Amino acid sequence: MASLRGLSRPARSLPLSPLSRQTYTAGSIRCASSQAADGSAPVIADLENSTLTTPQLGDAEKREFRPWKRAADRKVALPSGRYQYHPPKYNRGPLHPVQSPASSDPIARDFVPGPFNLPRLKQTYHSTIAPDLMTLAYTHVPPGTPKKEAAPRLRGWDGSSPYHKNRALRGPRGNPVLPLVERDITFNNVPAITEVTIASYVPAAIADPDHLLVARSVLLSLTGTTPEITKTSSNVVQWGIKIGDRAGVKTTIYGNAAYEFLDRCVHLVFPRIKDWKGIRATTGDSSGNLSFGMSPEEVKLFPEVEINYWMYPAKMVPGCRVFIKTSATSDRQARLLLQSFGVPFYGEVRN
Amino acid sequence: MGKLPSTILRRPSLAAGYLHSTSAAALPHTPSSAASNLPLPHGPAHASTGQIRHATFVPRSRRPYQFTQLVQLSDGSTFTVRTTSPLALYKSAKDSRNHILWQPTEKSLRNVEVDEAGKLAAFRERYGTGWDLGGPPAAAAPDAAAPAASDAAAAVDAKKVAPTQAPAPAEAAPAADPFDSLTDLISAYATEDKNIKGGLSAKDQAKKEKKK
Repeated sequence: MASLRGLSRPARSLPLSPLSRQTYTAGSIRCASSQAADGSAPVIADLENSTLTTPQLGDAEKREFRPWKRAADRKVALPSGRYQYHPPKYNRGPLHPVQSPASSDPIARDFVPGPFNLPRLKQTYHSTIAPDLMTLAYTHVPPGTPKKEAAPRLRGWDGSSPYHKNRALRGPRGNPVLPLVERDITFNNVPAITEVTIASYVPAAIADPDHLLVARSVLLSLTGTTPEITKTSSNVVQWGIKIGDRAGVKTTIYGNAAYEFLDRCVHLVFPRIKDWKGIRATTGDSSGNLSFGMSPEEVKLFPEVEINYWMYPAKMVPGCRVFIKTSATSDRQARLLLQSFGVPFYGEVRN
Repeated sequence: MGKLPSTILRRPSLAAGYLHSTSAAALPHTPSSAASNLPLPHGPAHASTGQIRHATFVPRSRRPYQFTQLVQLSDGSTFTVRTTSPLALYKSAKDSRNHILWQPTEKSLRNVEVDEAGKLAAFRERYGTGWDLGGPPAAAAPDAAAPAASDAAAAVDAKKVAPTQAPAPAEAAPAADPFDSLTDLISAYATEDKNIKGGLSAKDQAKKEKKK
């Protein structure tokens, strides 16, 4: 068939046998594939580098090849077969001769294997939710429309005093904190889940530290990461807490783990809560991070806790608070994202 | 003239150690006479390269073993998750696929009252609907087919009407007022019901009926 391509169309139609045809005729298009048939063609020869074509070793050469002799003559012992490379325990800076391998290297101390699956929710997000959100939030701006100037957020000085020159601008009245400016959802700004933080405050742990252990193991099984222990940040005499008490655990999960946790919440845990209405719509810190709480009874509904429920002392299982951080810059965008994930909201909305 | 600080004197040895290690690392398994007296690339000889005071510890990540679990939802769909639960297949009985909050159009998930013996109807006839928890009672089970059909017809009607009559849902909303059942309760007392005999609670009255 390769030789057919080199022929002109009328020649191809002739009832000749394929073997009797010429490989290529003068005046037709030159094809490298048809030239490969005769091996002497220089086009292919420089590409071919086969070991089969190299000449065989002679007897003298074979006699001279003595690896055992080389090993016997060696002055310094090679690392033994039991030798194993261990990455350094400490990072000593970029200029030190001892460098630890990259964290993607399986031998590195901070290597974490994975990912082992593509989470369902993440897949849905990238295939369906993100394009849908982008389309839903599209606002058409006719080309040539002048860009709207944003109002200045910081207050200047009126210049009534000569000392006002070069003074730093003042913050807004009332609230010294500048709220985030909501960015429009565009093709390069579609809100996504950044991380999920799960925190559990266990004030009973001040009297009985066993509570901390239980809370820690519950969060460990929920997230698959080792939680860190938090300390009380305020003194309240009536509640018996003081600053520095170890009374809580928290952990943060990112990426795939965050998506899987959210998926498990929405599809396995929330439907099993009795008379659950949804998440209160007033939640949010007005910069795109939503949160909700779970009582101990609800924590027990997680499949990971449920599978070895007997392992935990029943009265010590803590409730937890879940903070979902999104890349959205306003609560309504974050709510839109979570609603598309299947999280129901109830009550009046704020922000 | 006094001697220079010792740090300056120490530097060349550090550089020499650095050069040694790099040459050995470049040719790890070539036994040549030049590399014969060099230290191994990753041996303890590197301790001689000098102390570093800004070294940071590289922690090994402490995490539990995570299994790949197959989750089967109640509608039969499956997917894999990474989880600490050692169960290979998690079959869920109640999830978002059979919950009314996520499947609001699913008829079978509606909260319908099964009243085959007519006991609930008898109770309502006797004591009124003041004791009902939710709104008006839904279709009963024995004649489930007919009410379902009528429901469907009603739904279709509602759909037909909805575009023309926008405030229809707004009218339906006040019906679910929480004070409605309370009003019903009060009105039940107000009406002259021969079944209600004054001064007796429902329980006592039931006992009295039993004695008769």
